[in-house]
Amino acid sequence: MHVVADTFSPQLHLVTPLISGLADGAAYGLFGLGLVLLYKSNRIFNFAQGEFATVAAIVAFLFDRGVGWVPKVPYFIAITFGVLAAVLVAMATERLVIRPLFHRPRVVLVVATVGVALFLVGVEGLLPYPQTASLRTISDALGVRSYLTQVDGVVVLDQDVAKLIVLAVLAVLAFLFFRYTHTGTAILAVSQDATAARVVGISVERVSMATWAIAGFLGGVAGVLLAVPPSGSVTPGAFTGLTLVVAFSAAVLGGMTSLPGAFVGGILIGLINAFANADHSFVPGLNSLPTSQAEVAVALVLLLVLLVRPRGLLGREA
Amino acid sequence: MTAALLEVEDLRAGYGSVPVLQGVSFSVAEGETAVMFGLNGAGKSTTVNTIAGLLKTWGGQVRFDGSPLTGLSTTEIVKRGISLSPEGRRVFPQLSVRTNLELGSWTRRSVQKEQMAKVFSYFPRLEERVDQLAGTLSGGEQQMLAIGRALMSKPRLLLIDEASLGLSPKLTQTVFQVVDQINDDGTTVVIVEQNVGVLPYADQALVMQKGTITFDGRGSDLHETGDLRAAYLG
Repeated sequence: MHVVADTFSPQLHLVTPLISGLADGAAYGLFGLGLVLLYKSNRIFNFAQGEFATVAAIVAFLFDRGVGWVPKVPYFIAITFGVLAAVLVAMATERLVIRPLFHRPRVVLVVATVGVALFLVGVEGLLPYPQTASLRTISDALGVRSYLTQVDGVVVLDQDVAKLIVLAVLAVLAFLFFRYTHTGTAILAVSQDATAARVVGISVERVSMATWAIAGFLGGVAGVLLAVPPSGSVTPGAFTGLTLVVAFSAAVLGGMTSLPGAFVGGILIGLINAFANADHSFVPGLNSLPTSQAEVAVALVLLLVLLVRPRGLLGREA
Repeated sequence: MTAALLEVEDLRAGYGSVPVLQGVSFSVAEGETAVMFGLNGAGKSTTVNTIAGLLKTWGGQVRFDGSPLTGLSTTEIVKRGISLSPEGRRVFPQLSVRTNLELGSWTRRSVQKEQMAKVFSYFPRLEERVDQLAGTLSGGEQQMLAIGRALMSKPRLLLIDEASLGLSPKLTQTVFQVVDQINDDGTTVVIVEQNVGVLPYADQALVMQKGTITFDGRGSDLHETGDLRAAYLG
């Protein structure tokens, strides 16, 4: 690839896609963490993960605005309620859907999570609230300016920085959790051999419940961070469409068995998306690409990684 | 005579709707080593798995130290002092030897340090490989780890399912000798075996055929009565 130096704009071709790519990537990574966690422990792709995020966003919105009979509470309490709602929904999913089907083939459980997602989208649609609205951003809630700084004329939004910080903190916490806590070790043990885990006295049911609660928490955090302007909303099913598909790609790219992999995969997918969507007219031959070039680029990188390293960048057999 | 630590009475169990145990009865005295022989499919593993709580009891009763175990969870059974080294070893392959052992004391963390030292005294090889992933150990080392992990909860009764499966004759003898030492140190042992080389270490021998106990006596009597030949040759 030959870059024509005199037409290359660092602001347009480097800084803008870098910042937007990191921010979007953080969002995909947040989703990816929850997906990887459940894959590690239950060996299933959880198609309801997006709805854990949507539930959190809607509940946070209802409490933040005080819609209908729901009391208006301070912003940070509202988003805490939102995340708690996601945790409760995840725990209910485990108890009412996953546990009764646990000894069935994995494909049955995967389809069951699709059913949970569709059910939740339906319930959300029945709720009387302005469904195209968005949650307030953190800067709105705090009454401060919406951007942290500018880099070469490109604004760095508070919300994007918050996403990156939260993702990094959660990834580190997840790593420490699995490395140093009894419950984390028990989740790993159950994921490797549930019968052996029973043999040593681990309650597989309790571990499964804990795992889904954590996945609900991760989904909830993602929901309250992403359902904000300019592109986020609290629409029913908001995070079960494209966001979940891209998050699956991020998790597979990083390695479905690796929590740091979800982080890395999310950031990479975000960056690939952003750079592929950037203006390429300065590169000879690349000025007439279709608008879906980002999806094609992500798919190509994903295929390449899966061909060369089927377990993903950081994944391993587990 | 020493009191029975384990009493199994008319035990019935199976998989799905297929019955395997057709009324198994035996008891094991505290401090002894009992060996259970029988062909594949005779019900040996089903028996120890049911005692350990991995399978539901369809009928009959298991009593441990006089208290019934029927209906208890595996967690509660391990807490009461029964530990299983399962068939096929079933170590956690992507966790280190140390973590595998630590998980063995999941229900009794207070004895973890003491038992870890004891396991390393029985199996020094495990201490050498303490930070290695369990899945990278040899078959013999994995067997040592499975037995070691079962000892981590400081059980009063140790159930070992197929201790010698896939091991060389020399390694098999080593494992049997360690099991004998574990028994000498006060742990009651029930071993499911196909290898008659374990007989010299056994106080009690049991033979299973088609889901029932067909011989229950001293190990030395087994050769004389011909039950062992019957168990394997029909």
